[in-house]
Amino acid sequence: MRIKLVGLICVFIFLFLAAGLLNLGVIHYGKYRELSEKNCIRLIPQPGSRGKIISSEGSCLADNYLAYDIMLLPQDHDLLKRSLKSLAAVLNIGLEEINARYKAGYISPSMPVTIMKNVNSRRAIAVEEAKSGINGVVIQPAPLRSYPYGSTAAHVIGYLAEIDHWRLTKLADYGYKTKDKVGFGGIEEKYDYYLKQEDGGLSVEVDRRGKIVRVIGFKPPQSGKNIQLTIELKLQQLVEESLDGRNGCVVIMNPYSGGILAMANGLDFDPGAFLDTASRDEVKKIVTDKNALLLNRSIKGLYPPGSIFKCIVATAALESGKMSPSTKFFCQGGLTVGNNEFACWEKHGEEDLIQAIAHSCDVYFYKTGLLIGPQAIHDYAEKFGLAKPTTIELPYEAGGFIPSPLWKRLYRFKSWFDGDTANMSIGQGDVLVTPLQMARMMSVFANHGKLVRPFIVKAIDGQDVSNYHRDSIELPFKESTVDVVRRGLRDVVTDTQGTARILAALSVPVAGKTGTAEVSGKLSHGWFVGFFPYQTPRFVICVFLENGGSGQVATGLAKEIIEKMTRENMI
Amino acid sequence: MNRTELKILIVAVIISITGILSIYSNTYCKEGEIWSIIYKRQIIWTALGIAVYLFISRVNYRKFWDLTYVLYFLALLLLFIVFISGVVRLGAQRWIRLAWFNFQPSEVVKLVIVVFLARYFSRKSADDMSLKVNRYGMFKALILPFVFVAVPTFFIIEQPDLGSGVIVICIFMAMLFLANVKLKYIAFFLVLSLLVLPVGWGMLRDYQKERLLVFLNPGIDPLGAGYTIIQSKIAVGSGGLLGKGWLAGTQNQLHFLPESHTDFIFAVFSEERGVLGALLLLALYFFLIQQALSIASRTSDTFGKLLASGIGLVLTIQVFINVAMNMGMAPVVGLPLPLMSYGGSSVIVTYAALGMLVNINKHRAVF
Repeated sequence: MRIKLVGLICVFIFLFLAAGLLNLGVIHYGKYRELSEKNCIRLIPQPGSRGKIISSEGSCLADNYLAYDIMLLPQDHDLLKRSLKSLAAVLNIGLEEINARYKAGYISPSMPVTIMKNVNSRRAIAVEEAKSGINGVVIQPAPLRSYPYGSTAAHVIGYLAEIDHWRLTKLADYGYKTKDKVGFGGIEEKYDYYLKQEDGGLSVEVDRRGKIVRVIGFKPPQSGKNIQLTIELKLQQLVEESLDGRNGCVVIMNPYSGGILAMANGLDFDPGAFLDTASRDEVKKIVTDKNALLLNRSIKGLYPPGSIFKCIVATAALESGKMSPSTKFFCQGGLTVGNNEFACWEKHGEEDLIQAIAHSCDVYFYKTGLLIGPQAIHDYAEKFGLAKPTTIELPYEAGGFIPSPLWKRLYRFKSWFDGDTANMSIGQGDVLVTPLQMARMMSVFANHGKLVRPFIVKAIDGQDVSNYHRDSIELPFKESTVDVVRRGLRDVVTDTQGTARILAALSVPVAGKTGTAEVSGKLSHGWFVGFFPYQTPRFVICVFLENGGSGQVATGLAKEIIEKMTRENMI
Repeated sequence: MNRTELKILIVAVIISITGILSIYSNTYCKEGEIWSIIYKRQIIWTALGIAVYLFISRVNYRKFWDLTYVLYFLALLLLFIVFISGVVRLGAQRWIRLAWFNFQPSEVVKLVIVVFLARYFSRKSADDMSLKVNRYGMFKALILPFVFVAVPTFFIIEQPDLGSGVIVICIFMAMLFLANVKLKYIAFFLVLSLLVLPVGWGMLRDYQKERLLVFLNPGIDPLGAGYTIIQSKIAVGSGGLLGKGWLAGTQNQLHFLPESHTDFIFAVFSEERGVLGALLLLALYFFLIQQALSIASRTSDTFGKLLASGIGLVLTIQVFINVAMNMGMAPVVGLPLPLMSYGGSSVIVTYAALGMLVNINKHRAVF
């Protein structure tokens, strides 16, 4: 029964198809014949512009400028010859050259052929004026990326380049295609989905001569969304100027919100170089430089923190209840742990905790570490957010590492010795941190006990998103603990033997800690991490100099930066 | 070889030759080694297809009754291999690469699903002619077979091959109808599908959504899928009544049509042969389908009946969607026109299905 019905349905289906055929091929024959005879549909793509990256106060760190592409619509042979000839005259290139370019750029009869890319506006106007004499010429405005401030904040911004295979396989489902320009590193990569523009285009009907008759379809191009950063351009520039090409980095952060105000690397690059095929050599130089110019050391560089780590050991000691601020140890310039002699850099004599911080006494902290044990240090380091990424919105952030006896047993197949504890107590051994983690740690003392989450994106497309990042963790430390360490950090500057006493001369009261992390076979890394003004901190600063010699050098740089900030009335 | 067998073979071969000529016309002026051998490959496929046809028409179709589950799980395995290799290669994957060709399991699945459902809804005993489905409740009539169909469908849609996935679901519904499943169940399934549609929409990939939206309004994407629709319509329309002649279709020769040797071969053909040629082609397809349905109504064995009508329906659905898509009357879903489009898997499976059909016709008297 039902088979008969199905048969009937089949008849109707075929009648429907036949009707469709008659409709296209007989009733509307004329229209389609005309369309096909003239091959008169042309597609003119219209690129949208990529979203801008703006600094906190509104300067464009990554902008777009308009360049023009000169294109020619495919047309019939004689006409084409004439058009190419007149176009060659206007563009001031040889006839053979323009013929070669046309041939190389030809894709299909419906697509305009790009004759010349990135023409400046003066030339574009010249073509525009001659347009009536040249058939089928299209002047296509193409927004191109530009970085008005050159290498300023280059590591934060990242750069644009043609998509690579690895990224393509991950992003193809999101509409990315080969030859798309995508962000590499920094905000350009992390927020590519927002920044990315959507290209549109026109499909137009042209007449026999290739003149546009009417528009058949139009899809407006869409600009990408603008991203506003917490970076303050003036501060960023000032910091980069002070770094002056040295191998190192500086992070300045708001200790209450975690907003990054400046993040600079001494070794930098010009992101604009990646945009232009002409500067291929420069790109090669950037990529192959053995100093890793592309590396954002503040988030990707892993270094031993040296004495900076003592802040954490001190907190652990006070919180564990095994020590009080007045606990005193005697430093005679060294300590024998097991079979090894651990040196201090000076004979400090008898000191209490605050003095030990101020003078950065190693022996005091060897003894502290041995008293409270490695597991406590490990646990407190994790409370300060170490050994995992801070989740700042920049790609490929490193997490760092804090050793523990269990780890050593499991992965190194060795027992943990007291010597390991001693090493760990002064931030050497296997301890690895990023400069950003150190700034974050210091902000706990600046803001009296809150672990903030660093962030760098303030607004997307005008929408303030910084609120989403304000999920700082209230660390369960006693108020007195934080106050004691804080006093110690202040004494680092004010004490006559404090390791950062050169900062005492500044008009702003600064607190902080210096660090010299030894590297085998090379110059030591220099650290200074601190906050200012002391009473009501508004800035946390982390200065790091890779193989910079010592903490003193880093402190000198910090002094220079704070001095300049004072002069510029930023504090 | 009896008359029906010969008739079906001749009509199928005529369609195939038409297809080869169109493929030749479409590719002969494209540059590159690959294009120049494509029509030759199609000739080989067709020859192989005819061999498969002759072979299967001599195998008692009741054998497929016994082999149903083997075929079903084999098909699932193939789909699974495609799925895994797709995962490994992190991208769309519809083929299994064999030594010298790409095998497309979703084509086989269409036929296997028909065989499977035909067996599911019929009885082994040739004496009991009544369909047992009348006594089936909702679970046995609808839910259980749907589960069996849904598993391969999931893999196909995941490939992603939306077109074939939709076809399989269409086949499922058509088979329910043919198998005398109560109309209220079919209606229930339809309503349920409509309710699930919004959820399914969310699961589609962006480009699939875009294609469906573009079908509703080609103007919104003039450079992408909309362009294909417009150019295909121009190709069909500009052919007129008599066509532009072989090798003279400008739309096709000047490469205005993307995918023209596979999904849009109908547009290529009708540009060159006109409305009359296209009507003739449709008549040939109609003949094949009518043969299938008449064999089905002549057969008393329920398995054979369902199988024959199912094969007819698979052909109908594919021809309908493909031709409608070529004329801008259906969304662009990437589906071959049986026997015409370039592609070995589709050609061979279609010939195999026709072979089964002929065999059912031979044996109907035995039962």
